[in-house]
Amino acid sequence: MTDTQELKEKVSWVTDDAMEKLARRHRSERRFKRLGLSAIVIALVMLATLLVSIIGRGYTAFIQTTITLDVTFSEAIIDPKGARDHKTLKAASYRTLIREALRKEFPDVSTRKDLRALFGLISKGAVQEFRDLVISDPDLIGTTSSVELTASDDIDMFSKGYISRNVSEEDRRVKDIEIKWFDQLQSNNAIQTVFNKRFFTGGDSREPEVAGIMGALVGSLYTLLITFIISFPIGLMSAIYLEEFAPKNKITVLIEVNINNLAAVPSIVYGLLGVALFLNVAHMPRSAPLVGGLTLALMTLPTIIIAARASIRAVPDSIRNAALALGASKQQSVFHHVLPLSMPGILTGTIIGLSQALGETAPLLMIGMVAFIVDIPGGVTDPATVLPVQIFLWADSPERAFVEKTSGAIIVLLGFLVFMNAIAVLLRKKFERRW
Amino acid sequence: MSILPLIILLLAMCATGYWYGSKKALSAPLPVRYLSSGNPHQFGLFVVVWGVLPPAMLFILWLVFSFLPIDADGSIAQQIDKVVFPALIMLGAAAGLYMAIREINPKLRVRKSLERCVYAALLLASTLSVFTTVGIVLSLLFETIQFFEKVPYSEFFLALDWSPQTAMRADQVGSSGSFGAVPLFTGTMLITFIAMIVAVPLGLMSAIYMTEYASRRFRATVKPILEILAGIPTVVYGFFAALTVGVFFRDVGTAIGLDVVTESALAAGVVMGMMIIPFISSLSDDVIMAVPQNLRDASYGLGATKSETVLKVIIPAALPGIVGAILLAMSRAIGETMIVVMAAGFAANLTANPLEAVTTVTVQIVGLLVGDQEFDSAKTLAAFALALTLFVITLCLNVIALLVVRKYREKYD
Amino acid sequence: MLKKTLGLAVIATVAIVGQAAARDQIRIVGSSTVFPFSTTVAETFGNKGNFKTPVVESTGSGGGLKLFCSGIGDAHPDITNASRRIKKSEVSKCAKAGITDITEVKVGFDGIVLANAKTTAPIRLTKKQIFLALAMQVPVNGSLIANPYRTWKDIDPSLPNTKIEVLGPPPTSGTRDAFVELAMEGGAKKFPSLKALRKSDKKAFKVIAHTVREDGAYIEAGENDNLIVQKLVANPNAVGIFGFSFLDQNSDRIQGGIIEGVKPTFENISKGAYGISRSLYFYVKNAHVGKVPGIKEFIAEFTSEDAFGEFGYLTDKGLIPLSKEERTAIRKQATSLTNLKMM
Repeated sequence: MTDTQELKEKVSWVTDDAMEKLARRHRSERRFKRLGLSAIVIALVMLATLLVSIIGRGYTAFIQTTITLDVTFSEAIIDPKGARDHKTLKAASYRTLIREALRKEFPDVSTRKDLRALFGLISKGAVQEFRDLVISDPDLIGTTSSVELTASDDIDMFSKGYISRNVSEEDRRVKDIEIKWFDQLQSNNAIQTVFNKRFFTGGDSREPEVAGIMGALVGSLYTLLITFIISFPIGLMSAIYLEEFAPKNKITVLIEVNINNLAAVPSIVYGLLGVALFLNVAHMPRSAPLVGGLTLALMTLPTIIIAARASIRAVPDSIRNAALALGASKQQSVFHHVLPLSMPGILTGTIIGLSQALGETAPLLMIGMVAFIVDIPGGVTDPATVLPVQIFLWADSPERAFVEKTSGAIIVLLGFLVFMNAIAVLLRKKFERRW
Repeated sequence: MSILPLIILLLAMCATGYWYGSKKALSAPLPVRYLSSGNPHQFGLFVVVWGVLPPAMLFILWLVFSFLPIDADGSIAQQIDKVVFPALIMLGAAAGLYMAIREINPKLRVRKSLERCVYAALLLASTLSVFTTVGIVLSLLFETIQFFEKVPYSEFFLALDWSPQTAMRADQVGSSGSFGAVPLFTGTMLITFIAMIVAVPLGLMSAIYMTEYASRRFRATVKPILEILAGIPTVVYGFFAALTVGVFFRDVGTAIGLDVVTESALAAGVVMGMMIIPFISSLSDDVIMAVPQNLRDASYGLGATKSETVLKVIIPAALPGIVGAILLAMSRAIGETMIVVMAAGFAANLTANPLEAVTTVTVQIVGLLVGDQEFDSAKTLAAFALALTLFVITLCLNVIALLVVRKYREKYD
Repeated sequence: MLKKTLGLAVIATVAIVGQAAARDQIRIVGSSTVFPFSTTVAETFGNKGNFKTPVVESTGSGGGLKLFCSGIGDAHPDITNASRRIKKSEVSKCAKAGITDITEVKVGFDGIVLANAKTTAPIRLTKKQIFLALAMQVPVNGSLIANPYRTWKDIDPSLPNTKIEVLGPPPTSGTRDAFVELAMEGGAKKFPSLKALRKSDKKAFKVIAHTVREDGAYIEAGENDNLIVQKLVANPNAVGIFGFSFLDQNSDRIQGGIIEGVKPTFENISKGAYGISRSLYFYVKNAHVGKVPGIKEFIAEFTSEDAFGEFGYLTDKGLIPLSKEERTAIRKQATSLTNLKMM
């Protein structure tokens, strides 16, 4: 208030009316600023809600319950002939060993039904872990040592508190007798919670406790790599041509409308196109990241072109004119001056386009990437799936333990996304300037 | 002969060509060199282009050849595939390089011919989108025609009832479905409209705040964070919309005495709006940022406040870009599937009430394509007809948008 | 520019090289209902270490059969899963592409349950009531009118006074198809007027029995059964229709509705006492046996007592096994690759 007063004293022609008007303008200015800030806050709150709900549900996917048992690596069961060759060790019945160990731990269990429940404490995937252990160290055969075995999904859920003891027995996946065993094991310190390494290094599995996302992660990486290699240069080139070189005639208008229209084509239609073009005509292998990447590249092209054009258009003509005046050719003015200045916007478009490609499921359905694939892909032509598909498949699985795995996979996907964006943001910062 | 060594060999040849070409250009007598229209680097590139073009052409030929339905086991075909083509490619590259190097002399307008090549490449890239369109139309057309053999045009375009309850098995003589696509398109419009109501103000205001008010650091942090919203898989949004937002709206509705279904269009639309905020915020942020500072300074110099500058100078200057961003966001909303599948479902109601359940074209397309029904039934074919119709409709919308933008476009500087 | 072009070239060549190699992995496509079982078998099969783990795609029964029938060779799948039987038209389409030898394997049943949240009383319905609650047209006083019932109580005074709100699969789904046929048609038959209609005009009867109301009481919620379960928990008044395995996994939160006095339990469905269940199948392209390694062994694994038997690992995943005699017959048929006979 004081400075307006001062102003009034100094400049006599400032009327009350004008001051009132100025104050009003300033008020609306402040309102506008608050509006802007609140828009950002709302958007951030939305994001935070989403993230909190995902992380709250998903962080338990990174830990895993294990049961430690004393196992006798009986030679009679693993390798009765003493050959110690890979084939024998691979084919041996490790399940029997685990069962024996469990029986030893709980000698009073006798009925067939109870035994079935008892053997169910340990994950089916533990057999493979066990096999790998023995193959990597054949000297274990004939000895007895304590081994950490992955617990089954129900026990894992119970130990993490997702299954309550208070529910009546018939409605509980974990029965009273299993809880009794669990408590007994816990009092023996045999139950541990460890970091779930397998979740990050393993391929998919139908047993939630051994399912991993490595396969999907690698698949996503390959797919996005192809998408980027194809869509970024082509998108950039189209945008440069349309914005800088194309004669302004009906044909370029047609191309422009056409590109805008392609952005609105539902993603699953790109899947149909991918099937027709890459699978039926070009005979590329089904379920391969190569085909997925090409299909997604076609899908992201319009996004990149539109963003790149907008940002090339935003470069003031004075820059071009200055370059041309100094004797640069049209192409030199574009590639040396306009392009670097419009790079931030182009990169934004690329980030958004690739983010969308990273989160896409529907087109991949058509080209066979919505699939159960255990092996981790070794190249762009191996069958593979991608992270959003893995999320989609797990979200659709009946097993309760997949709920946390789903959220865990989402967290990994977001991590991937943040990593990808960080690279682009760094690049963007390098180019960004205001003139 | 395997492919990888071939490519490495080609690369090596091109590198030598570049070195030799630029060296030859440099070795010209000094005055001539200054007069020549190009620097040694360009001469080198000129050679490389000639070294790459012929093999590239041959390579395309090779690709076509290997996709041809010739008996792949035939020894002649095998021979051609394995020996003749690699040899031809190498020969082509060598010949190209040789010719180019021989051509080099101070009078050669190397910049011009290089630029011609670049121009051709740019032109080629921009036509790819046209081919994509042709591909999409072709991959939809055949099935669409089949569909209209089973269902009359008048029913599809004019009937107000969508209920594809046709029988799935031969012994189920049951219900004949009705295929009136109108409610699907109105549903799409309704949900897109809601999404835009959420996303446009939020996105645009965020962009304005970030470029005009916020500190550099704030912008550098918030912008990429907001961009995460675009990358969250739509399945996640779907769950969020169905279980959190949908239930929330229902409870609020019940509290104030409104009848809101859990599967409301509102829930799906709002969450979809959330997803496309970054499309608007980040892209318009970039174009607003690119508005020259002298426009702002001029406006401030005349005594305008920041908000007045934004509304009266910056937004008009950045309008084409902003409209582009909004169009892109809208396109994304129209094409979105999973959110609607999970949050609003498949019920095709012809309504403008956002509190009721509606369904969209894309949801139906996905539902029909991955269902358990027979693949040449009218149900599956309807998916193709829907996709093609949506394609045509968005095309019309885009033409209108283009005309509008042209009318209001202002160019400064 | 140069780098990009070369990059493209590399990719294209990798594609060609990749396609040249023969397939050593079984490829399975098809129904999302059979998917959990097929993948479990695939994983067990792969873990035995003799063959690579098959790739199993979830494409829907129709999409699966389309791929299956598109031809013989590496590019086409070896096995397709289906939650319904193959159709005559599909068999002839297969034959056109040269696929004349198909082995059909029935693997078991999938129960379809009606369920609601545990926080309310379990629902008790007869098929007749299901029909009245969900059909587009119902007979009232001898004539057919548009379904007037808004609450369960309108149908029968013994039922709760809550809005009819049923979350179920869309018409493109095989689950919906089976539900409509078994539950609703079963209910429609109980009305004398409709029964008479069935005798005189079967087609008209089926139209009435199979058409689900579209006024908002039946909510087509998509095929994500987990989502339906969670929606039920959030909305205690709603009733959901989905596969038995989801009820089995979520029995602490939701409860199965009692249909005609029978609870949807494993035993009841297996015995056939619970009326709403459907058969699941897979189909094998015999021409691929011997070309792609492991197909025969995969069939043997799927039809082993360890897998689809009464105490097999598939029952843990929610598959309802066939009777012992049927299992033996199917195993014999499947392992000898007996060609499909369409009735």
